[in-house]
Amino acid sequence: MIAKRDLQKIFWLLLLFLLFIAPALLMFWRSLSPGAVWPELFSGEWNFRAWQVIFSDGNIINALINTVLIGAAVVLINFLLAVPAAYGLARFNFKGKPLIESVMMMPILIPVLAIAMGMHITMIRIGLTDTMTGVILIHLMPTLPYAIRVMKSGFDRLSITWEEQSAVLGVGRFRTFFTTLIPLLLPSIRSMAVLVFVISLSQYVLTSIIGGGQVSTLPLIYYPYFNSADSAVVAGFSVIFVLLPMLFFLVFEGLIRLYLSAVRSA
Amino acid sequence: MKKVWFLGVTASCILAACSSEDEQLSADELAEKDWDAIKESAEGAEIGMYMWGGDDSVNRYIDDIVVPHLDENYDVTLERYPMDAPDFLNRLMSEKEAGDQDGTADVLWINGENFRTAKQNDLLYGEFTHLLPNMEEYIGDEASFVHIDMGTEIEGYEAPWGNVQFAFQYDADRVDDPPSTMDELIEWSIDNPGEFTYPNVNDFTGNSFISHMLYSVADSPDELEEYDEEWLRANEEELWSKLNDFQDSLWREGQTYPDDLSQLDQMYADGEVSFTMGFNEHRAESMIEDDVFPESTETIFLEEPGSIGSTHYLSMPFNTTEPEAALIAINYMISAEAQIKKLDPSLWGEGHVLDSDLLSEEQQAEIEEHLGDDAVEADADIILPELDSRYHDWIIDRWEEEVVQ
Repeated sequence: MIAKRDLQKIFWLLLLFLLFIAPALLMFWRSLSPGAVWPELFSGEWNFRAWQVIFSDGNIINALINTVLIGAAVVLINFLLAVPAAYGLARFNFKGKPLIESVMMMPILIPVLAIAMGMHITMIRIGLTDTMTGVILIHLMPTLPYAIRVMKSGFDRLSITWEEQSAVLGVGRFRTFFTTLIPLLLPSIRSMAVLVFVISLSQYVLTSIIGGGQVSTLPLIYYPYFNSADSAVVAGFSVIFVLLPMLFFLVFEGLIRLYLSAVRSA
Repeated sequence: MKKVWFLGVTASCILAACSSEDEQLSADELAEKDWDAIKESAEGAEIGMYMWGGDDSVNRYIDDIVVPHLDENYDVTLERYPMDAPDFLNRLMSEKEAGDQDGTADVLWINGENFRTAKQNDLLYGEFTHLLPNMEEYIGDEASFVHIDMGTEIEGYEAPWGNVQFAFQYDADRVDDPPSTMDELIEWSIDNPGEFTYPNVNDFTGNSFISHMLYSVADSPDELEEYDEEWLRANEEELWSKLNDFQDSLWREGQTYPDDLSQLDQMYADGEVSFTMGFNEHRAESMIEDDVFPESTETIFLEEPGSIGSTHYLSMPFNTTEPEAALIAINYMISAEAQIKKLDPSLWGEGHVLDSDLLSEEQQAEIEEHLGDDAVEADADIILPELDSRYHDWIIDRWEEEVVQ
């Protein structure tokens, strides 16, 4: 006899599987079995052509490395900029605060393309086009507003009494930040990192305008295939696209564990 | 801290300025060099090419044929940057505005409307095709596509690279009596509701389908040779009534249209419709080989009104840093050797731009061999010239009003 609670658990797991894992598996299936016409699922033979196409592109490895490096750098810079900004917005009241808050949200309210064209000219002048640095900087535009939002609500939820208690015990502000605030803010940091990584991962227009095709990332190779009927190749690329954030999340979790154990032993 | 920041900005400004002072020859200066000198100064150069990257066989043709040849014979390294024409034009526009002479790409794949935009905004290098030996040797100046690209005078700003015909693909398992004229196609669609549709006219292919309709309304193709608004006003009624006549029989009763050709192709591949269409009469071959299209796919042309031929070109941006190497690359890509290899359906499989009168018998035999006996080929008398690109805009404007609403 299965307990009611177990049944519920199975139901939720099944739902999660159907919503999140099954589509990715279906994509993987499609990349290996092209030409199958719905409702037929299998065309009769396994076919690895899509994966051959993907990995025979001389740029793919380079593009994957670039994508991960850019994504990681964008997450790091977002963290460095968003945490102080969010802290300031959440903990202090000052003149013009609403104005500053709305300026910080501006990049996602104005069409990205319009800003990118103007930024492109500036980047040409300071020599940042076609470079990885330029691409990383431009990726801050669609990510930083979200990062600040997420971190600010993290600080808002966190009562100031934690910091006060720490101060009463004579712990310096710096130390309080690293040993108390960061562990308490982990849920926000986690969602900020994944959100930022996924947004950076899916930038096509910004990367192509600023990177000029010279800074090759996964979307630059992947998106043109959407303009073809080759659904097997598109399915294959989509699988890689799903795997990257998962991989990132695993590495990120590992780093968090390391950090926490370092903080505890310190 | 402030100081460091200031230093950084100055340093990068200086860097930017230095790199833009690189020596770059204008088209006129290049013209004074002879071909051997151009070859010599191209040696060791690295060049980039902006081109759409969504077709595996096109990419393979560049990577497996063009790149190795340039590397072995001229010591020129070619890299392709996948980017759509409107995207790279935007980029060039900003670079022009910022006065950036140190461009990323050296060769562009372009035609039609985009060429007109690029030429009007001075985004191209200039007149260069007369410098290419292979232009004279294999292409000549007889063909009209050497002079006009969808109503825009070419004036040596781009070199023809490939010729494709508009054709229809159908599934022979589902269509017993393929239509051979536009009227028969309309009839077929009325008899087989839901089995035919065409892409939205904002898509190039969908727009070209309507262009064929325009040709079938016209008494003779000459009527459309030049953009003529009066003619359009007098005859558009007939065009829209033709389209409205069979709209109900289209896929989803014509309430919606596929956004672009790739969507129509996918619908065809999934068996949702029985027809697809598009430029390049050989495009079905590699699609069948890759298991995208069913094996029973056949290609046809409509004898009435005919088949529009489209040419695409290679050009150079205004801020190429290696014009000599770009010339070498373009010269090779329009050579008989490269053009004949491009015919091979396992590589790319699209029509050449060569003038057969200028070719040796051997080369002609090779072309015959590639095309084979059963290859689809449009008879010369059904080939229609491409319409002026202003018709393209007119179709987009009026179609929404007359057909969608």
